[in-house]
Parts: sequence; C-alpha cells; structure tokens
Amino acid sequence: MYTFDQIATQKHILDLRWQIIKTIREFFWSEKFCEVDAPLLMRLPGQEPYLSPMTVDVHDENGKAYKRFLHTSPEFAMKKLLAAGYTTIFYLGKCFRDYESFGGNHYPEFTMLEWYRTACDYTQIMNDVEMLFLELAKTTQKHIPYFSSWNRISMKELWQTYLGINLDEYLTQEALLELSIKKGFNPSKQESFEDLFFRIFLNYIEPELGKDVPTIVYEYPAQMAALAKLSDKDSRYAERFEVYIHGIEIANAFSELTNGVEQYDRFKKEQKTREKNNKPVYDIDGSFIDAVNNLPTCAGIALGVDRVVQLFTGCKDIQNVIVS
Amino acid sequence: MADTTAIKKGAVIRHNNDLYVVTDFSFVNPGKGSAFTKTKMKSISAGKTIEITYKSGETVDVVQVSRQTMQYLYKNGEMFSFMNKETYETIDVSADVLEDESRYLKEGMDVIAVIHEEGIVAIQLPIKVQYTVKTAPPAVKGDSAGGNVTKEIVLENDLTIQAPIFIKEGEKVLVNTETGDYGGRVTE
Repeated sequence: MYTFDQIATQKHILDLRWQIIKTIREFFWSEKFCEVDAPLLMRLPGQEPYLSPMTVDVHDENGKAYKRFLHTSPEFAMKKLLAAGYTTIFYLGKCFRDYESFGGNHYPEFTMLEWYRTACDYTQIMNDVEMLFLELAKTTQKHIPYFSSWNRISMKELWQTYLGINLDEYLTQEALLELSIKKGFNPSKQESFEDLFFRIFLNYIEPELGKDVPTIVYEYPAQMAALAKLSDKDSRYAERFEVYIHGIEIANAFSELTNGVEQYDRFKKEQKTREKNNKPVYDIDGSFIDAVNNLPTCAGIALGVDRVVQLFTGCKDIQNVIVS
Repeated sequence: MADTTAIKKGAVIRHNNDLYVVTDFSFVNPGKGSAFTKTKMKSISAGKTIEITYKSGETVDVVQVSRQTMQYLYKNGEMFSFMNKETYETIDVSADVLEDESRYLKEGMDVIAVIHEEGIVAIQLPIKVQYTVKTAPPAVKGDSAGGNVTKEIVLENDLTIQAPIFIKEGEKVLVNTETGDYGGRVTE
C-alpha cells in the first residue's frame, strides 16, 4: 500500500496512465464500438488449464453462502453479448488471477482491454492493434517512429529464422521433447507439448521479438488454440496471434471458435489437464456453449493495459504504474 | 539441486559448467500457459550476462554459497571495500560485480555479501535505506498547482532521486533500493 507522498512521486506516471485509458476509450468510441460491462463475480469461471480464479464467499440476506469466482477475463460475458447480436464491443476494466507474482509484468489485480468484432477474422484485429498503438504514441508523444511500422510474422517463419527448424516437423510432443533435450534442457518425459513449445519459444525467440519494430506473431500450433478457430488453409495451426513489444507479450487474439461441440470437447480436455495439475475443476457453463453455437464469425483480443502503461513510461515494475 | 523457487537475486547457478549469479528474474505465463521463470544471470568468471527461461518447478543446479553481513567501508579507485564485522577482514570488489547496486552504497552501511570461494560475487542491499538529503531545491509557491509535485534531490552519497516538493536539505528519507524510488520521510 502506498502512502500519499509516494503516490505524489508517481504522479507523472499516473498522469500518463489516465491519458492512455482516455485515449483507448476515445479510439474505440470513434470506431463506433460500444463499451460493455461484464460481471466480475461468476458462478462458473473459465477453465484455462493454467489460470487460477480467486474464490469469493458471498452470502444472501439469510446468511446462506454462495461460492463465486472473480473473472479472469470478460471473455465469456462478451461472447454471450456477441451471440445476442452485438457486433463491435469493448471492455476496459479489472480482471483477477490468483497464484501470480506481485511484480514485474504480473499483478493479481490488473487492467484488461478486450474487444471483439463480428464478420471478420483476426487480421482485422491486427489492424485495430496497429492503429490503437499509433494513436497512443501520438497522444502521449512517445515512441511515434517505433509504432509507425509493424512486423507481422508467422510462428512457423520465426522457428525457421531463429532455430533453423521447420515447425511442421515438430508438432508432436515426442519431436519437441527430443529437440528440447538436444538443446540442453532438462524436461520431464511427460511434459506437455505446450510447455515444451513455450520453453524453446521463450529461450530462443521471444527475447528477440519487437526489438526494432512491434511484432505480431500469428498462427500458433493447433494444440495451443484455446478458444481459437483452426486455420482454413492448414488445420495443424490455429488463427491465434500475440503482440510483442520489446520482448514482452502485450496481447493475445483469436479468430473465435464458433462451434459449440468443439468448444465443449476442448473444455473437457482442459478439465482433464486441470485435474492432472491438481487444480480445481469447474463445471462447464452450458449457457456459454449455447452462446458459442450461436456466435457469428468473429474475432477478439485481450490486451494488458498495465503493460502498455509500463511500456510508455519505461517502468519495469507493474507496481509503479498502478495505484495500490 | 533445487527447483525454480530457489531462484532469487544473488543465487548462484551452475549452467553449462560455468557459475552464474542471478541478477534479475521474473515470472511469465505465455498466452495463459503454465508459469516460467525468466532469469537474468551473470557469469562469475567472464562477467557476461545471459538470459535463461526455466519452466517453474524445473530442477536448477543451485550452488551453495555463504552469505555474510559485511560493512561497506569506502571506494578506493574502481574498487569497493567491504569488511567482515566478525573477523575485521576486508574484501575488495570491482564495480562490474556491483553494477547498479553501487549507487546505493553509503559508508558504514551493512549489506549481505554473497561469497563464493572467498570472493564476493554479489551483494544484497536492504530494501529500504535511510539517507540524509544533501541538496534539495526549495519548493516554489505554486509548483504543485502547476502539476509539479516532485523534484530531484541529491542524497549524502550523491544518489539522485525524485522526491515530493516538501522535502528539505538535512532531512532523512528512505529509498527503495530495488526501484530507486522515494520510500518516505523519516521523522524522528
């Protein structure tokens, strides 16, 4: 908890934070987006295998207890809105994740920007990202040349560039395990494809991303699709992209999966992974599966706003850009 | 052998038959994936800094080192002298080993020295250190109304920080040595 005089020394940073938040809202309003709310308290939280929602005890007027969870992202609520007929929506507000570090680029309570568009794929969201950052650079008068040109590169091209490897040949757990051992790492034999993939990605590729120009990395292996649609041209990959600026991941986007049956299967798999990792397993929200079944073609993105503030203020620690 | 929870600033890790001191580390969860620990570390023999990312929970070869409270005496050319408070033995450390941390040293302060094979490979500073303000420009009336709520002040050891405008010369302030930020005024 900061004292008022510590906050006073941070004021120049906080001023930039409020400016960034204002610019984000104005950008989306000018693009005819509707700002929406999402409930922070959920009965059934998301199932992402590695996220831990915070549990909250809520009581009614008779003292009867209900277990609720703080949302880890507004995604479920926003997709229900899209299924209900909304076309361009954004959320700017708090999200919560337990078992996260209290510093660096993470904090248990953080500010998230999510936006969705119907009748488009993820390339339209890439355009939005590029325009939004240029707007932020202009209003803050910082990093304008850096944000004036972007690099869009596929995950497969990155593996070829930084490792000299054709990723198509490493899309199984066995192949990646062998590669990891060859590279001198010490993974367990049962390690998941995703962990093996990210260890190599984080060691060899990520530190290089976004150094000279902001970089959008697209088409992730299908194993990492989460809520993304598989690519029409190669179903071994999913239409997912991430935004990297100076080696830091700022946002994660998908062409959204619109098939409820497949969504249900993926949730079932995620429940199994959670069970294996000794994480609490939650029931699947049937109303969300219904919504996915009724989703029009759409794409969306989640972007960490505190990290954007860190970027524009040069603060290495997230705690310096929030009021705590 | 230990796991990634043993990674902290000043820990010594054996990697590819060389010893490294951890200078910085952070957690990452790529794309909502499982946790990794990004570790920045400096080779003790060559001084070169490398970055390695471990999966959280992975086995890491953490080398046993001793930690000793030592008193910082003075700067002697490019070397910094520290004294073992029990044996009065002094050890000199070069500026490359201390890096940014040397800015926070003031004569007579205690630090924790990380010792490997009789040499200091890293020092750990107290998180908050008290300094006397050497120079602070006077606050001008109307400054805060114009939005200038901070000013640059110089401390007894020539460290410069941003502090609230009401801080005066001769006062004592706390500084967070992890961030370099003002950490409050000491009232006695």
